[in-house]
Amino acid sequence: MTTTRERSDWLGHSPERLDAARKVAGRTRYTDDIVLSNMLHAALVTSPHPHTLVHEVDVRGAQSAPGVRAVYTAADVPGENQVGCVRPDQPLFVVERARFLGDRLAIVLADTAERARRAARRVEVSHAPLAVVTCPIRALEPGAPLIHAGGNLLEHKRVIRGDTDAGFALAAATVDETYHIDYQEHAYLEPNAVIAVPEADGSMTVMGSLQCPFYVQGAVARVLGLPHARVRVIQCDTGGAFGGKEDYPSEPAACAAMAAWLVGQPVKLVFDRHEDIVRSTKRHRMVIRERLGANQAGQLVAAHIEIWVDAGGYEGLSRVVAERSNVSALGPYGCPNVRIDTRIVYTNNLFGGAFRGFGTPQTTFATESAMERLAAALELPSPELKRRNLLGVGDLTVSGQRIEESAPSTVCMDLALARSNFAARRAEMAAHNRKGGPTRLGIGLANQMYGCCLHAGGQHMEGSAANLHVRADGSVQLGIGGTELGQGAFTVVAMLVARELGVPLAKVHVMLTDTALVADSGPTVASRTTIMSGNAALDAARTVKARMIEVAAAELGAAHAAIRLADNVVRAGGDTMPLPALTALCHRRKVDMSATGYYAPPPKRWDPATGQGEAYSVYCFGTQVAEVEVDLFSGATRVLRVTAVHDVGRVLNRAALVGQVEGGVLQGIGWALMEHLKVEDGVPKNANFTDYPIPTILDAPKVDTYFVEEPYGAGPAGAKGIGEPSLIPAAAAVLAAVRDATGLPVTDLPMTPERLLLNLSK
Amino acid sequence: MTSTSAVCKTRGASGAHGAHTGVSSDEGAPVRVTLTVDGTPHSLEVRPFERLLDVLRERLGCVSVKEGCGEGECGACTVLMDGVPVLSCVLFAWQADGSRVTTVQGLGSPRDRALQRAFVEAGAVQCGFCTPGLVLAAKALLDRNPAPTEDEIRHALAGNLCRCTGYESIVKAVANAARGRTRGAQP
Repeated sequence: MTTTRERSDWLGHSPERLDAARKVAGRTRYTDDIVLSNMLHAALVTSPHPHTLVHEVDVRGAQSAPGVRAVYTAADVPGENQVGCVRPDQPLFVVERARFLGDRLAIVLADTAERARRAARRVEVSHAPLAVVTCPIRALEPGAPLIHAGGNLLEHKRVIRGDTDAGFALAAATVDETYHIDYQEHAYLEPNAVIAVPEADGSMTVMGSLQCPFYVQGAVARVLGLPHARVRVIQCDTGGAFGGKEDYPSEPAACAAMAAWLVGQPVKLVFDRHEDIVRSTKRHRMVIRERLGANQAGQLVAAHIEIWVDAGGYEGLSRVVAERSNVSALGPYGCPNVRIDTRIVYTNNLFGGAFRGFGTPQTTFATESAMERLAAALELPSPELKRRNLLGVGDLTVSGQRIEESAPSTVCMDLALARSNFAARRAEMAAHNRKGGPTRLGIGLANQMYGCCLHAGGQHMEGSAANLHVRADGSVQLGIGGTELGQGAFTVVAMLVARELGVPLAKVHVMLTDTALVADSGPTVASRTTIMSGNAALDAARTVKARMIEVAAAELGAAHAAIRLADNVVRAGGDTMPLPALTALCHRRKVDMSATGYYAPPPKRWDPATGQGEAYSVYCFGTQVAEVEVDLFSGATRVLRVTAVHDVGRVLNRAALVGQVEGGVLQGIGWALMEHLKVEDGVPKNANFTDYPIPTILDAPKVDTYFVEEPYGAGPAGAKGIGEPSLIPAAAAVLAAVRDATGLPVTDLPMTPERLLLNLSK
Repeated sequence: MTSTSAVCKTRGASGAHGAHTGVSSDEGAPVRVTLTVDGTPHSLEVRPFERLLDVLRERLGCVSVKEGCGEGECGACTVLMDGVPVLSCVLFAWQADGSRVTTVQGLGSPRDRALQRAFVEAGAVQCGFCTPGLVLAAKALLDRNPAPTEDEIRHALAGNLCRCTGYESIVKAVANAARGRTRGAQP
């Protein structure tokens, strides 16, 4: 009889998160909770205008302000004054031209954060404002003001597959509709925060609230002119990220590190909410025009999709986001003739970047909406049109990739239809709506497809490492390259290791991610941590396990194959020994009980000119159904219920999966209905939680969550990712339900009460 | 050409650390404040515009009290003042004079521990930044209403934002804690 305390195999169950007890007790240590002796506090001075030529940054007033220790500008940067997640195209501190409101001009160090902020306001900037470019379509017209010398078009990415003209000629019905999709703010509860510590040995340590310590390491090294080996980045407990702490934290980290390096003291830089919203990246605004054609049998025969991506003032991750938009532009649907034209455009708006779904939620909303219109044109129920075109094993994606395994798209959709009682609910709602009255009810469905792990274009960063030590007492110390952002990655990876080594889950300790502990494992993004860090940790565990079995076999006089490690016990037939006795014995016998694990998927072929090739290692499918009630007088939409069905390969931690789905669904609902970041002439008008509301507990509907398990051969225990798939279809499903309730076309996202009333009055 | 003070037009200058009021927390004559925090009495001099949040975090070591927005919208800075949930980022420290302040670090009774366990067991904790405030708001609810309806739970926690969980697990945690309380701890 195994006690819970000794249990090593929790797969498919819901063990307690490793970090939950300290979090409920208030013992978590986020960056701003750390106080170092002799530490200074920093504040940034940012551009007074979203597009302006900066002539002079006069810091004298700030230098003489109370408590100020130093003020630095571009002239003080010891290394390269350039940052940028993919290409270093952005100045750390502006030299000549500011291209958005978050561009930095100076950093002020003082004895308190408040004094640093007050002094920052005394920096005088003389500058000549330029015309502001805010529309990604007009930005490409002749005569538009140029944001970069090379023009406002960052890149035109294409997918060219088959012959769309020939395809449209075969179409019995076509649709041509344009969708306007607005920003989303991440609204992680902990704003950006970082501490930089100049070490006595000439190295720099950076601690912060961040998603990708290896990105930060590179940025800090560049700005300080240091080799990577002299920059150490440690992730602190991080209060949410959702993509928002992938690219951006490198910038405040580089600022703080530069200041700390120059002043020779630790420097803390913590943003307030307004600063965070204005300066950090957002889910990209996009305009998407969809032209779809289907034959009489309801099969897609042609798709031409044009996407305009509002990048903001710099490249950032926009080309990578657009790559994912392209591959997911037609969602989980197959079509032999596809043309996708994605134009990534510089503007003076807020900075577009990584956000849960990474370009897929936008295209999913557009394509699901266009499929509904196409179904109406064909006089088919929309779920039927969608089912007829779903990709499955053996089918080709828009990038021409054959799906090899684990693609239960139809199973997900049919389960969602059944569990939501879709047809019957739609009929009931139609009956309610026919009665008139102040409310309308609606139900909507959306499918999604998401490529797990990095795109072929980023596969050079995919390799992931883990370092594992089995200590003499039978406990396990583990360092992984992926970060814990709240999603539960550390617990899931610990579960895999505990099961492999037979040690109790509670005896696996995952250390905060630290560039000094683990090799560069790429970013914690793309729903890749379970697969990448999980496989790397399993690789390390298997190495040490083989050594343990060697010793156990000799000790118990048994064949290697007969040894079983489980629930803190070593078993060989009827013989047993406590697992800690084995680890102690290994230690005494000087067996190396540490190992590095590594995992990288096989190489993928990719042709950037045609957007054709093996875009991703594996795809996740899923379907969500939403029911809504629309109040015709207030314009308010309430989501009553969501049914979420997700293909996860294999359930590892059930509670963590459900938590990801419920959280992702509500973020999607917020984006669909209430989160409207109003940016006028490059200036956000509601960069705070009062005017940019995110969902509260009163907005959260009941979410019925189901998982479909078709194991992924290369996944740890068969698992795929869930972080992003959980959000991707939510907004599309909710807005399909609004369409069902009101009969409005619903081509704008978000559909706030104001917009809905405006549409109803037309 | 124009000359503009860099951030004065935006709200960025308000936000954190007392600058909210437009008046420096350095300014004004000090005021003596006596309060009890998590059972320990304190008597200290504060400036008129010092926020309760900053005094708790920076002078009394209560770093479990979080700052998420600095303007009373997110609830991460929730503490209990004489048992009532308040937002310490929009209170001046002197407003807590004579009161009993409770942070999550001060919870220790079996009932409070059961509530914390309920959060752990229901999967109501992800990044954890909102958790101290939510636990305190839930404690205040259960202290005055040991058997709340789901609707009462939602309304009591409506001032505490969580961006990770979607809230369902939080509702479940509080309901479970209430049931445990009515069935077990206090028969």
